[in-house]
Amino acid sequence: MTTVAPPPPSNEIDQSLADRLAEIVGARRVLFRPSELLTYTADALPSYHKRPGLAVFPGTRDEVIAVVRELAQRGIPFVPRGAGTGLSGGALADGVVLIGLNRLTRILSVDAENGFAVVEPGVVNVALSRAVAAHGLHYAPDPSSQAACTIGGNVAENAGGPHCLKYGVTTNHILALRVLLPNGEIVNLGGVDGETEGYDLVGAFVGSEGCFGIALEITVRLSRNPEAIRTLLADFMTLDAAAHAVTAIVATGIIPAALEMIDQATIRAVESSIYAAGYPTDAAAALLIELDGALAGIEVDVATVEALCRANGARTVRVARDETERLKLWQGRKKAFGAMGRVASHLVVQDAVVPRTKLPEVLAEINRIGEKNRVRVCNVFHAGDGNLHPNIPYSASDADETARVHTAMKEIMAACVRFGGTITGEHGVGLDKIDYMNLIFSPDSLATMCSLREVFDPQRRSNPGKVVPTHSCREWHMAPSARATQA
Amino acid sequence: MAHGAVGARDPSVTTAATDSVSVVRDRIVDAGQRGVGLRVVGRGAWLDAGRPVQSSETISIESLTGITEYIPGDLTLTARAGTTLAEIRAASAEHGQWLALDPHGSDSGTIGATVATGSAGPLLTYFGRPRDLVLGLEFVSGRGVVARGGGRVVKNVAGFDLTRLFAGSWGTLGVITEVTVRLHARPEADETIAIGIAAELAAQRVRQLLRRLPFTPYACEVVNEPLAQALLGRAETTVLVRMGGNAEAVRAQRASFAELGDPQPVDTTIWEQLRSVEPTAAIVFRLSRVPSEITRVWDAALSVARACPGTLVHATPTRGIVRCIVPSASPQLTDAYRAITSVKRIGERLTMDLWQECPPSNSAGDIPSRVKHTFDPHGVLNPGILGDFA
Repeated sequence: MTTVAPPPPSNEIDQSLADRLAEIVGARRVLFRPSELLTYTADALPSYHKRPGLAVFPGTRDEVIAVVRELAQRGIPFVPRGAGTGLSGGALADGVVLIGLNRLTRILSVDAENGFAVVEPGVVNVALSRAVAAHGLHYAPDPSSQAACTIGGNVAENAGGPHCLKYGVTTNHILALRVLLPNGEIVNLGGVDGETEGYDLVGAFVGSEGCFGIALEITVRLSRNPEAIRTLLADFMTLDAAAHAVTAIVATGIIPAALEMIDQATIRAVESSIYAAGYPTDAAAALLIELDGALAGIEVDVATVEALCRANGARTVRVARDETERLKLWQGRKKAFGAMGRVASHLVVQDAVVPRTKLPEVLAEINRIGEKNRVRVCNVFHAGDGNLHPNIPYSASDADETARVHTAMKEIMAACVRFGGTITGEHGVGLDKIDYMNLIFSPDSLATMCSLREVFDPQRRSNPGKVVPTHSCREWHMAPSARATQA
Repeated sequence: MAHGAVGARDPSVTTAATDSVSVVRDRIVDAGQRGVGLRVVGRGAWLDAGRPVQSSETISIESLTGITEYIPGDLTLTARAGTTLAEIRAASAEHGQWLALDPHGSDSGTIGATVATGSAGPLLTYFGRPRDLVLGLEFVSGRGVVARGGGRVVKNVAGFDLTRLFAGSWGTLGVITEVTVRLHARPEADETIAIGIAAELAAQRVRQLLRRLPFTPYACEVVNEPLAQALLGRAETTVLVRMGGNAEAVRAQRASFAELGDPQPVDTTIWEQLRSVEPTAAIVFRLSRVPSEITRVWDAALSVARACPGTLVHATPTRGIVRCIVPSASPQLTDAYRAITSVKRIGERLTMDLWQECPPSNSAGDIPSRVKHTFDPHGVLNPGILGDFA
């Protein structure tokens, strides 16, 4: 336990702090003037803008530690940030200090024999896979932003990606963490031995959205590159048929490496962009299905999946003939949101998960909600795990349209919860979904989550105001213990 | 509990059956007020596992049973914590599915205990641990607060991850009352082979082969001579491999093990035998290091086996883990156990003096004790089972 009481939380972000931090990281790495901070007012979700009071960009582990300890001494809240590619407003700093970790890009060690690597938080996701490719290994979680997003950010968000259907999300690939707590202490969580004892604190930390501290060193599991990969594109004349094909495939016991659905609106946006992948523009939906693993037997699974697609109404099923065609098919999917940029200036993306069997109903409901609110909902998502990404292109300068978009998004979220789903599958709660938390968690559950945060950060100085609504945390101090003694 | 098929039920346990979540909550609150500890009990089959619990009373979830939701198309199942693995197995088998967890013991253990203890058996090689298969859970914390983590869908990052925190927390933070798990569809082919192999470097040879293969088997265990004798009736160090997939894939997988020796098909029930092979009174512990150092772990286990005749040993080469089942406590065992200094020791069932040989390892500062204090401030739940702080 901390023996000396920490100073009370403070918001005194002034020239003296800027000067002190400049002594640690160099003057060029401290941004304090409002004009300099403009770049850091948003992440990849354009709906929110918050200006940090100051931004600091340490270049080494020791600098991060010194910065955090300085802030701890002054009681100043901070927000850790990776590449700023998040889609939940999670890395926005509202008047507090933003700590950019994107300069900590060293891969500290690679143990190919045991299949793990130790990296700094600013290592870019795809850079890690490239660095270990010579060993026949890769880092499995592959968010669509993998060319830019960082492993530290992935850990904070418990990031997913198309290939998580088979290989699991970030938390299934993190073995150990060296964590800098908001009070400046360093703790080691997990380990690389075959077994670790005690509480699964790695599991608790991954996905804590920057609220538990900063991961200084991250030990990730590396996965073997598959011997064979087969990528199929099946197109359907109704969304419903595509959704039923998804359920049929998963029921066979074949776990596709990825199983993605792309609807007509998205197909057309992709096909009219530089990312054109050859998706049929008259189809209501296409499934991008990838099977991987050992070469022996893979064609049997390909045939099974192809037959199931046809049995569920697929018009054509195409198997990529070579790596070039495969990458082209994937490019359309991975750049779908980029392609939407051609359609309108702004785009909101939702991240709900529904039970797979509810996909046909939920997609129909989303369509109804879009029509009712006169907005165009596009769907491109991880169908294999029911992880929807309904997205709506719009113009933020049109206040009426913007209001209708937000109404539609709220209704979509409520519908997904009603069908037994959850509010975020991989983007995190951040700011964007904080108001939805009480749709799926009771006040006691939220208070319990808040209490877990306070184990790591009693003052809630790290990424304040995110994930759990603040009022839930206040309740914690009163209600549960009081209830425990009263009952 | 998930372990101990032979049913090491402690006769002194007074089963105060708790048939609802509110009863669990009331028991916990009451214990907190009276300052007594509660031993959390599933089916009571593995009460001698873990460090000795300092409590005079028990709280049972045995009657908190039943599958509350099972949607085969979603491959998800929700059950009250006292539901046995056997019930889940039977329900899911009707739809050609399974919960790919085979903790040591038998399917008479409960899902709550399996998750609480983080228990995994040979299927760990492919399917991982309970933390990898649990999607959400409900619990009553040591404060008497009923809360939930996770959800019922296969992918979920909403809120802080209470689910993983609870998986493997040994009931010290809260009593798990309901669990949602991910199921898998049964593969077209699920076959097992046995291959005799020289004892020396056996685990390492198998690990090196597995590294080169383009697939991961469902399970792969190297068993020592006495264990092979018990399972197969032949005293020869043996590799057991379980393979799943389509028939063509499994055929190719089987062929790729031929370089170790002559693969003989054996019935898949051998895995049930392996799970339940340990005598009630056995001392059980696991040894581990990073997988590349499996030989050191294997050798350490064999040194125990030499000192204590009848010791059963099985290694999970991909994970760097070797499990030792020693028939009974003895001075030879104590000496052999003490002599293991270069590999990590994780106790399952030990005598008091052996527990004292392995204090809980912790590099997380005061975080574990603060987690414990936050969830169970009065120290009601399973006090002592994880060592000093709990």
